[in-house]
Amino acid sequence: MVSPILSQLNRPDGSAAYKCPATGYNILGAVNGPVELPARRDALKPEEATVEVFVKPGTTTAGVAERYVEGILRSVLGKVVLGREKGFPRRGVIITLAIAGGENMDRGDSYLTILPSLLHAALLSMISASVPLSMTFSAALFGVTKTGDIVRDPSPTAAKASVSLHVFAISSKGHLLLNESEGRFDFDTWELVHQRALSVCQGTASADGDVTMGEGAASASLHGLIREAVEDQIYSDYAYKLDSI
Amino acid sequence: MRPAHPKEAAQKPTNFIEPARPQPSMSSREEPLSIPERDFILEALGQNLRLDGRQFDEYRPLNISFGEEYGHVKLQLGKTSIIVRISAEITKPFEDRPFDGSFNINMELSNMGSPAWENGRSNDLEPYVLEALDRIIRHSNALDTESLCILKGVSCWAIRADIHVIDFDGNITDAACIGVMAGLQHFRRPDSVVKDGRVIVYGLEQRVPCFNDSKQVIVDATRKEEQAAEGDLVIGINSAGDVCYISKHAGAPIDAMLIVTKTNLAWEKVKVLNAIVDKALQADLSKRADFGMADESRAANDRLIQPE
Repeated sequence: MVSPILSQLNRPDGSAAYKCPATGYNILGAVNGPVELPARRDALKPEEATVEVFVKPGTTTAGVAERYVEGILRSVLGKVVLGREKGFPRRGVIITLAIAGGENMDRGDSYLTILPSLLHAALLSMISASVPLSMTFSAALFGVTKTGDIVRDPSPTAAKASVSLHVFAISSKGHLLLNESEGRFDFDTWELVHQRALSVCQGTASADGDVTMGEGAASASLHGLIREAVEDQIYSDYAYKLDSI
Repeated sequence: MRPAHPKEAAQKPTNFIEPARPQPSMSSREEPLSIPERDFILEALGQNLRLDGRQFDEYRPLNISFGEEYGHVKLQLGKTSIIVRISAEITKPFEDRPFDGSFNINMELSNMGSPAWENGRSNDLEPYVLEALDRIIRHSNALDTESLCILKGVSCWAIRADIHVIDFDGNITDAACIGVMAGLQHFRRPDSVVKDGRVIVYGLEQRVPCFNDSKQVIVDATRKEEQAAEGDLVIGINSAGDVCYISKHAGAPIDAMLIVTKTNLAWEKVKVLNAIVDKALQADLSKRADFGMADESRAANDRLIQPE
């Protein structure tokens, strides 16, 4: 699995490049925060930070689809950021996500296929920017085919052919943070996909015998990947302490 | 007449001339340089020194790499870093120009490149860079839009270059220009059914800006040098050595002779930059050849044209 690259950019406070191994989307995220926002927005949240998300498509100008996905991202990330920490109230955390590579999406294509990558890139860039977070999370995309099979991370073409699409974000504690579904499905299907999402994100064997890959369990689950990135970041952040021991 | 009251005179100075204010830098709303920092840069330049130890006519290291898709360029010029993506789409040509496809350059400065840029809002730098790119690449017909026509008045290719500035440390006009030209040479649009109608990419055109600090002229200024600059000069030269663009946007006046000598310098630089782009393209081609994609990657004009 390609590990994400943190803090490769010089100007933003934090940045991360995340490449989704399955769909091939390459997302570049940058976070600036806390920053001063123009006075007019102060009235919005007197005691909390304002999280702003901006999605920049690779080969088109941002439009309705981007505004829509920004709304989803803002609601998830806004809950994760500890916006009441000292120095954060009445300030902004600005997250910019550029789709730097991967298949071009046509107008009207479902944005759910790219949503997990965007979530991961946003989380990792916030970690890189040392924005206080209440938890980490991981997200996964599932498609349900006509025969009822659940496919993890379907490619854009496979996603188009599937009956329903589901995106789940699972927190580090195993709680459901985000549930976005599209298409026709019933509760039983949703429950199955939810179970699958839990196993993919947390790396436990699922009910249908799908065992995590290999011995290195840490990198096998999505959450292990995020954890490794956090560990590396903390290691480099506290390098001065390690050296002085 | 009674002499003016001293207080009055102080309020209304008659022959008071504002000291010449330095030209505000093009990097809009960036944190301005402090006066000592500005003086330091200028004084160092007076002693023939640049902050990063470069010569006046020396570029920062230029690094070009290509992504998996065609027309996906990652370019680094020192700490300035951009991504260019070229894409093609079939549209209806404009009614007044039924034979022409379209080519557009798009650049949106986001918070990623510099914290001073606000998302979703344009600033002064954006139109300035786009205008230069438009004039150099689009209006000089570097890309022949007539070759983008598929069926007269019905359909044509619309080529689009998207420039993402991901890290800003001065001189994005140069970086963007090199990036777009490299991208256009790398890009292969999907073949259309009509026999002809292939993207013809002519030679490379590049520009070299020279920043004029009263006496010293430097190329490839960093962000701080740009902020300390009093003016700038932009020269665009194509690969044949023709000057196709000169812009003296604003700022300190410039000597005519200086433009002549700097044009010679720019031509030297263009040759060097062309060589770097060619090398990067060759490297990418040989990489693709390993996957057996060399034929597909070759210049569009060499494609097999089946006689009918």
